[in-house]
Order: sequence, then structure tokens, then C-alpha cells
Amino acid sequence: MESGNPLLDEFALSLTGSDEPRVCFMPTASGDADHYIVRFYNAFRECSKPSHISLFRRERGVDDIREHLLSQDLIYVGGGSVISLIGTWRAHGIDEILREAWQKGIVLCGLSAGSLCWFAEALTGFHGEPERVEGLGLLPFSNTVHYDAESARRSAFRRALLEGMCSGYAAEDGAALHFCGTELAQVVASRPNARAYRLSAADGRVIETRLATRYLDCDSTPLPLPGSISGDAESSTTGVVTAA
Amino acid sequence: MGGHDFDRKAGNQALCDKIVELSEESQPRICLLPTASGDPHEQIGRFRRAFGERGCDPSEIALFRLGAEPIELRAHLLAQDVIYVSGGSLVNLLAIWRAHGIDRILREAWEAGILIAGQSAGAMCWFEAGITKSSGLPAVANGMRLLAGSASVHYHSEPERRVVYLDAVAAGTAPAGFGLDDQAGLLFEGETLAAGYSAREGAGVWRVFAEDGEAEEEPIETEEIRDREAPIGEIPAEIIELRRTLEARAAQRRGGRLGSGPGRT
Repeated sequence: MESGNPLLDEFALSLTGSDEPRVCFMPTASGDADHYIVRFYNAFRECSKPSHISLFRRERGVDDIREHLLSQDLIYVGGGSVISLIGTWRAHGIDEILREAWQKGIVLCGLSAGSLCWFAEALTGFHGEPERVEGLGLLPFSNTVHYDAESARRSAFRRALLEGMCSGYAAEDGAALHFCGTELAQVVASRPNARAYRLSAADGRVIETRLATRYLDCDSTPLPLPGSISGDAESSTTGVVTAA
Repeated sequence: MGGHDFDRKAGNQALCDKIVELSEESQPRICLLPTASGDPHEQIGRFRRAFGERGCDPSEIALFRLGAEPIELRAHLLAQDVIYVSGGSLVNLLAIWRAHGIDRILREAWEAGILIAGQSAGAMCWFEAGITKSSGLPAVANGMRLLAGSASVHYHSEPERRVVYLDAVAAGTAPAGFGLDDQAGLLFEGETLAAGYSAREGAGVWRVFAEDGEAEEEPIETEEIRDREAPIGEIPAEIIELRRTLEARAAQRRGGRLGSGPGRT
């Protein structure tokens, strides 16, 4: 849902392997902001059945959230406050349902807070000073986003690693981490210079590795993905990061 | 309050005035927590206008937009004269407050003597339990337990909630408590019920309790408070009647000329 740049959306859709993917948007982290929901329907209007789940107006939404989510090809989580996101999801049991969806092989993706949420730990800068938060833990790593735009996050992420946060991944705006199961399969980008990094701490030092990144505009046909979500028990998560 | 908004619908202005009066300040600092509805801009705008007009110093904490509008949560809340919590999803409200530690700050604010007001989910959240539609159908949900007992809101405007509430109190799945109509409210001083207010004709508050396995409702005496200016947003009965008469006449005329079926009345 990057403004004027559909590359990451198209990439996430291609991972479903479906000609008519069912896509469900979860705008929880924004407080179900109307303008965001409208943007989703604009961005995904080509899909066969785009839908969204509003946890603030459940009396008007789908009856059975579990059934609805588990029947999707792609679940797209919007950005906003990761703390509010996780709190609200837990109150409605959405965390359990998303784990189930992941194990079933449904492609999970999201941007910003919608990327942080899949990891064991995350560093959010949403509430002013960067702070560590616990995510859903589907991916046993740490994560931070908007790695280029805000330098405070860069130093805070490094500091958190030195203080014992598990090693993890940082993504710049426009870069996306694609995991199959808990393995990083590739890094793709909607902008030529967007990058992602693997970071870990050892002996009081932080090691930052710049990851090879495929710019998505180079070829229109998606490359075959190692161990992608071709049916069976393989599951996939895309941490998609864009500049909202 | 069992239902309230920052507009000029009957009773809503009187309740805004009452909140300002109860603050005992001439220019009270009043902070809105619109968490339960996801911090919508238009609600914040209406809140700021309504209390700005009354000489207050209005502000809000939009937890979903803290990145763009950073604010020191505890310091800001504890510096208020009034904290107003609006309606929406009770389940989301409490989950998000807990995630941000707002529940503890609000207890502190209450203990510090800050006036805490709220409507709908923002009224039920202070009790042990409330009847929420956060999951679609009305159901019992836990509150913050600052006040003993339970509460159910929109008491006669959403009758499906009242049915679930009466059943829950009768069965003991919710403790005894209060049913509150739109534009009616209760004032607690500490944990003690101090007053009831009705800001609209027909708006009431009931004590709801179980007796011999049945739920009983007993009206609570309320003070009538009224809007200073004529309400807007409701069509007076005489205008509705006039419109009906004109429509009926027009239908008669059409019927006479065209010989069609019965006209609308």
C-alpha cells in the first residue's frame, strides 16, 4: 500500500499462488482508521474478494473472525501502534488465529507495526522514544522498521541488542523481508536503494550485515522462491516495510 | 452516562455543562480519551469545540497517533481537572489501556480527585462488569473495578443489551448494578453514589439487582438538568405531524387525479 508504488503489494499477492487471491486487511494498529481502509480497497480492488476486519465495530463486521481469516490467501496487517495492535489482538484471541493461519500456510504480511508484530521482539519508535515490545513470536528474531529514516532507531536497536535482545532484522522503507516458515528466503524492495540488515551482538559488539536485495521492478515475472508456500505445511510471512 | 455526544441533540449540552460545573473550576483542563473508538478525528473535533466553547482547556490523548503527537501520558493525565472517556469497544478500550499502562494512571488520577467522566464504554469501564457489543452480540465483559457492581448503557435505546443484562444479573454472571439511559448519568464520590442526572425527558437510571432468581429494576431518583439552548438534531413533534398531514393531503390529491392505490400516510 505504498503510495503510487504497487510493487510490494504485487509481490505479496504473487506469494499466494492464487489467480484470485482472497485478501483480508487488518487495520487494528491504526484504530481502524476509515481513510486507511479506503486505501486498502483502492490498492487491492483487482483482487477477487478484498475484505477487512474491524475490531472496533464488530457488531457490523464478519460473524466468525476465525473462519474468515482462515479462508484467506493473504492477511495484510496495516501500520500504526504495535502496542495497541498486540493488546487488542490478544483481547479478541486474534493472536491465536493468526498463528493457526500461519501454520496453515496463509501468507501473512504487513508494514511497519504490521511487520514488527510477527517477531519475538521489536523495537518501536511510534510512541516517541524507541522502546522494546514483545510481538507474537512467530519469527524467533527481533525486528525494527523505518531503519533509514530515523537514526534514533538505528542506535536504539544496536543498544537493545547489546542489552540482550535476540538477534534480528532491520528494514529500510521500501524493503521487505520474506520468510518461509522461520527461514529468511529473500529480501525484496520496491525502491532501487532500499535495503535490509541482519544484526546480532557478540562480545559487546554489534555485527550488522547488509543483505542482498532484489529490486522488484527489474523483472515482471516473480522468481521461483526457495521453499515457497507451494501448498503443504510450509508457511510464509512477509515483513513488508514501506513509508506509509 | 448511558449515552452522550458533543453535539446539540437533546440533553447533550446540559451534560457538558454539568461536567464543567462538577469540575469546580472556571477554566477546567479537560482531556478526552477516545481510545474505545480508535481515536477518530471528527469526534475529537466535536469534543474540542463543545468544551472550548465552555471556556475549558480541552486536549486529547490519541494512543493510535502518539508517533505524530507525542505526549507524556502520566504527566498529562494527572495535570487535568477532568478526564472524559468516550464510547466504542469496551474490550479494546481496556486491552489498549493495559498495554500502555493507562489503567494504572487512571486509578492514580481518580485517587488524586480528578473528575472522571465517560459515556457508554467509557462509563461501564469503571465498574466490575458491563454489557458490551465488542464481540458483536451483547455480552458481559469485565471492567477496571474502581466502582463496585455493574453497569449497562443505552438502556432503552438498545433493548437487546438490557435483555442480556437482566439475564446476567438474574443468573449471577454479572453483579447487581445500574441501567443507564442515553442522556442520563450517575455521579459517584469516591465509591459512593452521590447523585443521578436526567438531561432529557424520559431519560432515567435504574438500580438492577437479583431477587429470588429474578432481575428487578428500581428507578433511581434523578435531578432534571436541561439544555440552555434549544436542541438541534431532533425534529419537534408538531413538525412531524404537519409533514404527515401535508403528505396525506398530497396523497389524496394524487389519488383523486390518477386513481392510483392508497397514498402514503
